Amino acid sequence: MSQIIIQGLLLSGLYALIAVGFTLIFSIGRVLNLAYGAYLMIGGYVYYHVTQVLDMPQLVGILLAVVFGCGVGVLKYTLLVKPLKGDHVAVEISTLILAVVIQAGIVLVFNDSSKILHPIVPGVWRVGGATVTFNILTAALASWAILIGLYLFVRNTHIGRAMQAVSMDTKGAAISGVDPDRINLITWGISGGLGAIAGVFFASYTQLNPSMWVAPLIIAVAVVIVGGIGSIIGTLIVAHIIGFMEIISTTLIAAELRGVFTMLLIIGVLVMRPRGLFGREEL
Amino acid sequence: MGIRWQHLAAWAVFIIFMLALPEFVSKGTLRTIIFANFLAIFAISWDVLSGRTGYISFGHPFLIGIGAYTSAILSYRFGFPIALSIPLAVVAAMIGGTLFFLPALRIRGSYFALVTLAFMELMYQLVQVIRPDITGGTRGISGVETITRGAVNNFYLSFCLMALVAFSMWLLMKSRLGTALSAIGMNEESVRGSGLDTTKLKLAAFMIAAFVAGLGGAFYVHYLGSIAPRALFDINFLFTIIVAALIGGASTIIGPMIGAFFLTFLLEYLRPVLPGAERYFIYGGIALILYMYQPKGIYEVAKQGWGRIQAARAGAGS
Repeated sequence: MSQIIIQGLLLSGLYALIAVGFTLIFSIGRVLNLAYGAYLMIGGYVYYHVTQVLDMPQLVGILLAVVFGCGVGVLKYTLLVKPLKGDHVAVEISTLILAVVIQAGIVLVFNDSSKILHPIVPGVWRVGGATVTFNILTAALASWAILIGLYLFVRNTHIGRAMQAVSMDTKGAAISGVDPDRINLITWGISGGLGAIAGVFFASYTQLNPSMWVAPLIIAVAVVIVGGIGSIIGTLIVAHIIGFMEIISTTLIAAELRGVFTMLLIIGVLVMRPRGLFGREEL
Repeated sequence: MGIRWQHLAAWAVFIIFMLALPEFVSKGTLRTIIFANFLAIFAISWDVLSGRTGYISFGHPFLIGIGAYTSAILSYRFGFPIALSIPLAVVAAMIGGTLFFLPALRIRGSYFALVTLAFMELMYQLVQVIRPDITGGTRGISGVETITRGAVNNFYLSFCLMALVAFSMWLLMKSRLGTALSAIGMNEESVRGSGLDTTKLKLAAFMIAAFVAGLGGAFYVHYLGSIAPRALFDINFLFTIIVAALIGGASTIIGPMIGAFFLTFLLEYLRPVLPGAERYFIYGGIALILYMYQPKGIYEVAKQGWGRIQAARAGAGS
């Protein structure tokens, strides 16, 4: 029982981190960035290359991963999303194509085989029959810290409030002197950075391989759909629902069923309540 | 939207050309064309649903997979003859299409696309878990009975199937039904406002798409002789179908065919240079650039080019 609660909490923290960057883009531009999983992959691989191939300190690895993620996000916005002028379907299809291109690019640079990332923080901790690796604990703590930071950023800074304004009403924000274009660019950059750092933790939790982007994308999609458009609190709650559902179904029913309930949840919620459980029109 | 004799003549020329093809090209090329034929069938099915009505399906492998798995399981595990297992597979795919249709009653756009993606992933995971003794689990089923042997026979079979599907879809889309479906893609509310039952129309689109997808999937599995979940319920497979339809030209019939042939041959010609999954880097890159340049696809580029030539000629003549 304690195993389920602890594992569930930690996994949920990671899932919240994975989903939040995706939510951010969805709430600002109402577009689904299907290449979101690719940020995680890029983050993971950059970290791997920097720390395990070039033997540089971990902090440099994480920083470079974030820089790369940000860069890809900004590039994606300027080269892909902006020219398509908010045509949702076109953005979804082009980001899907981009995701496959990035996947193939990763194969080209790092080849096909899976790579194991050394734990970011090695060691295990035993609490009441449950074993917790320090690695996932760090991931969960980091994700909490990042989420709180993001929440404060969005609430309290000028740029954060401008992001809220754009998410509520782009035209209204433009009239009030906010440049939606610039805010979008910043949001895509932040989203990329968040994705990349989530990728470092996700990769250390599972492993690195060129098709690793699909699973986190599905998780992000599930969290966003079930949580409703762009609410950070909703993201957090639903990440816990999904995280616990996975842990419970893995430990109590069968390990193979871990994704089935997530899919059923997506389908069920979208058919019954298309706006999501916590759907609000704000960030 | 009328049917003119030029259209029929173009179809006739195309079909005769393709039927004569085995006389001129190698077996290897024929095998490539077989894949292109199947891809064209899937792309046409996707286009009937998504290209026309604007309900973007990210779960088309779900429908294809139901058709393929049903036929494979019936013939391999229960000894059904292929002549019976394929029609049953088509029926199963259409039942799957009804399931697929339910979310379309309430949601559209991005949300619909995501639900269909969830359907595909759900199917992928269920196939491996539920009764692996029947579905073959992760490894799938191999040794499924094939319909014919040899590249030439399979080429004729796949081409006839593709031509039949393409021609009947072309006729159907020329009808009032096709017009209504395209109208739904432009503005669903105003179609409903003109007194048409959009629910019935959408259901028709889903059923037609599921029929074609199931048919294609069933024949495909009896061509390959094997089936595995990761080869089928896969984002890369979905990507190939969507890209074929879009690159060729959405909401036309010839577009998905052009796209399927273009992409299959591109992938084939890249094989000597880049043997593995790296091919998708160039393939996807070309697809992305083409899509960004002209979202309506090669067909539209060709049409505009032709228009420009015509205009230049008219300008020179006057």
